[in-house]
Amino acid sequence: MERLLEEIPSFFTIWNIIFLGKAMGVTFLLTAIGCLVGFSVGGLLAVFRKTKSLVLLPLRFFIIIYTEIFRRIPFLVSLLLMFYVFQILKISDNLFLIATITVCLIATAYIGEIIRSGIESINQTQWDAAEAMNFSYFQILKEVIFPQAWKVILPPAFSFFIMFIKDTALASQIGVMELTFAAKILNNKGFSPLLSFGTILVLYFILSFPLDRFGKYMEKKLVTNRN
Amino acid sequence: MGYTLVYTQVLEFFPYLIRGAVISLQIAILAFFGGMFFGLIFATIRTFGNKLMNNMVIWYVTFFTNTPQLVQIYFLFFALPEFGILLSPFIAVLLGMTLNAAAYLCEIQRAGFLSIRQNELDAAKTLNFTLIQQVKYVILPHIMKVLFPPLSNHYIIMTLGTSMAAIFGVEELTGRAFNINSETFRSVEIFSLTALVYIVITFMATFLLALIGRYFFKAKMRIIQ
Repeated sequence: MERLLEEIPSFFTIWNIIFLGKAMGVTFLLTAIGCLVGFSVGGLLAVFRKTKSLVLLPLRFFIIIYTEIFRRIPFLVSLLLMFYVFQILKISDNLFLIATITVCLIATAYIGEIIRSGIESINQTQWDAAEAMNFSYFQILKEVIFPQAWKVILPPAFSFFIMFIKDTALASQIGVMELTFAAKILNNKGFSPLLSFGTILVLYFILSFPLDRFGKYMEKKLVTNRN
Repeated sequence: MGYTLVYTQVLEFFPYLIRGAVISLQIAILAFFGGMFFGLIFATIRTFGNKLMNNMVIWYVTFFTNTPQLVQIYFLFFALPEFGILLSPFIAVLLGMTLNAAAYLCEIQRAGFLSIRQNELDAAKTLNFTLIQQVKYVILPHIMKVLFPPLSNHYIIMTLGTSMAAIFGVEELTGRAFNINSETFRSVEIFSLTALVYIVITFMATFLLALIGRYFFKAKMRIIQ
């Protein structure tokens, strides 16, 4: 314990703080890019999965296979798989790029599912009524379905963001310089693991707690609105 | 380019890999039921406890759901020895996953508790049900119907989460994939095979859980969403 107290002044030097700040930025960036791409592409997937035309049948089949597969592979395994695929195809050796692409692929599958369940939570009668008024498919989605569905989509989407802030910790395993990797480096430099891992636990908490609160607030607000 | 996928060498290790999958399932099941147990205690405190204990559980849940499981296990594995507590990798992973699961399962079970309506209990009392009858015929069927789908969902997430154990040197599915990788250097083949095994074991779990949920608890569950 005394050793720990002695270490604290040398741990919180300005350079270490900048170092941890940068690492925190990388964690945040990974999550933010993943969720933005996931939201846009996942939304598209969900929209196409609801179509009924026969021409798009292969596409729907592909979407189902894609979401089912990527939600059933652990993030660590898909990260390593992507890492080695990049290696043998000699595409790039940028670790951040590899991690980002993996996060995007998985986020697309998960958020696609969230948006799809949001769309499906809307009663079939709404679709029928809109069709009877001769709305096109995209008009129905835009004017009728999404204004109601986003209330169902947002709360799980927020908990998904938090889940992904936490899951990017695994990117340290291929060597992306994010928070967990920074802690490992500080630990290897000789700082006590209690201090280095404890600090990043707090930093992760700082990163995801506001989102958690905001998500809960939104959930409450949306539920009271509906009644 | 110029790389051909060769699976023959890797497939020789398939039985070894499957035995690893059994260890993965062991970790997942143990951690799940441990988490269920502590989660039940926490959920009871959340529902019936006094203010101080209630707040403690709330902070426990917020802390554990807002920090990565990986770092929690790192903390248990590397920082606890400073206090003289040395955990083996398996125990550290199991403990970390149980603590983490307890936080999530507490929230899920609390939502289940809240789904019982007071007037149903009142109706049961009017019909002169004993407490055991109330639990058996009114509370449990109702709770299980609401709880079973999110619980089975969380079990799948936990099965995927066990891959973290490989980082600490537990020889489960991913850990064995690491071993085979360093023996044969057929990285893409071995990790795609591992991914396939994960897909198969989670599909089997989903299938079984959906069957159980449908026929025993009348829950609305589908195998492919």
